[in-house]
Amino acid sequence: MSYQVSEVSGAAIVALTGDVDLQTSPTVRQKLLETLEKHKRVVVDLSAVDYIDSSGVASLVEAFQVSRKKGSSFALASVSAAAMRVLSLARLDKVFTIHPSVEAALAPQG
Amino acid sequence: MQDQLRMLSEMTREFTASHDYKTVVHSALARITKYLGAEAAALFLLSDTGDTLACSACVGPVDITGLIISAKTGVVGRTVQKREGTLVRDVRLDADFGAAVDSKTGFTTRSLLVAPLSIGKDCLGAIEIINRVGGDGLFSADDLVLLETLSRAAALAINNFRLTEKIVQRERETHELELAAEIQRDLLPQPLGREFPVHGINIPARSVSGDFYDILVLPDGRIWFNVGDVSGKGMNAALLMAKTSSLFRCLAKSAEHPGQLLNAINNELCETNSRGMFVTMVGGLFNPANGHLSLTNAGHEPPLHFDPRTERFTAIPADGPPLGIGQGIAGPDGYPVTEFDLAGGMLYVFSDGLTEATTFGGGMLGIDGARALIREHAEESPEIRLKSISGAVKLPGQSLRDDLTLLVVEDMASAHGPSMPVPSADAKSTDGEIMRIRVPARPDRLKLIRAAVEQASKYCGAGEAWTFDLIMAVDESCQNVIRHAYGGRPEAGDIVIDFLRRGDAMEVHIMDFADPVDPSKVKSRDLSDVRPGGLGVHLIKSVCDEANFVPPPPGVGNLFKLTKRLPSNIK
Repeated sequence: MSYQVSEVSGAAIVALTGDVDLQTSPTVRQKLLETLEKHKRVVVDLSAVDYIDSSGVASLVEAFQVSRKKGSSFALASVSAAAMRVLSLARLDKVFTIHPSVEAALAPQG
Repeated sequence: MQDQLRMLSEMTREFTASHDYKTVVHSALARITKYLGAEAAALFLLSDTGDTLACSACVGPVDITGLIISAKTGVVGRTVQKREGTLVRDVRLDADFGAAVDSKTGFTTRSLLVAPLSIGKDCLGAIEIINRVGGDGLFSADDLVLLETLSRAAALAINNFRLTEKIVQRERETHELELAAEIQRDLLPQPLGREFPVHGINIPARSVSGDFYDILVLPDGRIWFNVGDVSGKGMNAALLMAKTSSLFRCLAKSAEHPGQLLNAINNELCETNSRGMFVTMVGGLFNPANGHLSLTNAGHEPPLHFDPRTERFTAIPADGPPLGIGQGIAGPDGYPVTEFDLAGGMLYVFSDGLTEATTFGGGMLGIDGARALIREHAEESPEIRLKSISGAVKLPGQSLRDDLTLLVVEDMASAHGPSMPVPSADAKSTDGEIMRIRVPARPDRLKLIRAAVEQASKYCGAGEAWTFDLIMAVDESCQNVIRHAYGGRPEAGDIVIDFLRRGDAMEVHIMDFADPVDPSKVKSRDLSDVRPGGLGVHLIKSVCDEANFVPPPPGVGNLFKLTKRLPSNIK
């Protein structure tokens, strides 16, 4: 697993690559919470995620809960088939804001 | 004459009627003193060494009970040495008379009558009569004959009392030994069941054993065990054994490894053990989850590591001195620890009662004989095997020469592995084991596990989506093992995963070696709640046809079984 954080027009984009599992999810969780500290708008790019397990999903859920408390925006984008399978099995596909692409996530909200 | 006979008859009756010999002797002395018209009388008994005489009863104006005089000198000493009665009409004329006692007591001895307490060739002591006051004030030769007759009766009586006392004492000791044996039997661990990896047997040579063994399971599943042999036999050995055994149990709970534990036991024993006794011991800590053993040997018979596949033995040598000899005797680093993996093998720990036992053919069993017996009975279950081996050296109806203790530690998890499921009657040719993997229960091994699932699934011809779901279910199940069964401890143990084809389904058996998990506590998440956690079980149940804990095979802590029907295009 690797991650990359970039900034596009005031929003932070966290791009995760590889496997988010019990071994790597603590890093993901920490990175997401750190980014939420500094940014009002966070988009997680899941296009290159090959695998995500319940602990990875839990990290996303926690970040989502923190953003709601802070009144920030937290969204997922370009979710890979593998990640989408897990999210839908967990029925979290209706809980998260999911955009088909990072560009769509960054589009002016109306 | 009539009076004499009456007196003798009465005294002999008293001697035979009572078991309280001090009272009887005192009464006899009083009777004869009165009869002879004497002033005082005393009965002296020889010490065990025969060097001194102690006054055990007396009558007269001065109580000299407990007074100790020489058995070699003086009038009484002479009587004892010569085994002959003595009549001294005037002590001033007898060169052997010592006035030391008189000067101590303030009593004046004028004349003496002394007779030995003889039994055959033995002499127990003497009776002395002092100062005739009646008549002409002189003892007669007849008086001596009377005293000698009476002394012989008294000697017989005293001898009988002593014999009776010895028998009573022996009975008391036998009873004590029976009690000690009972306490000892209670100290031995209860059998922990067939599937338990450590078994022991102890057969005492006498009612009380100097050998012992113990098994103690820690909350994390690791097992402490020991086999010990106390030098010496009987009650003292039994007490030292009980003490060592309690120290082991007590100190094991906080010890990190057997070297540290045996060091602590040694120091405790040295603080109080003064009788020159010592204890040899093999102490070990076994982790049934991975077959790892830590072993320390304090002067005991070297344990044997047996590999049933190659039938080879490796002796683990003694590395430290016996316990209880001296503080810090094992050197500055304490008792050393030998670390090794059982690797599917067994460890035999025994006392010299096994190797030194007499065989049916006569002669000692020896270490080669012990090895042959272990090999011969290798196929039997551990409990039966221990009985077979000890039965081979214990001749029927005879007691052993020495206590025999035998303990076996088996690496059950990897020795035979969890037993394979038996194929059902409608089994197809494709049915059976696809593969088995064994990995440490660690998060960084999950990627390997997922790769294994992918390969097993591909082997069955399943497509990508189906495979992904099974990967997730197995991954989540293994996470539960790491996080819950092993409590997240690193190096806690292994996970064994069996992949099987069963008809139109794949089965995955996920096994750990931890304490049994309470399945009621493993629940799937309420989906209206989005808090993290509890999601894993829900994911597993969502993609599998069946996902349950089932009774684990021997040596396995938990078995979580996943069944997932293969896509319909696969036959």
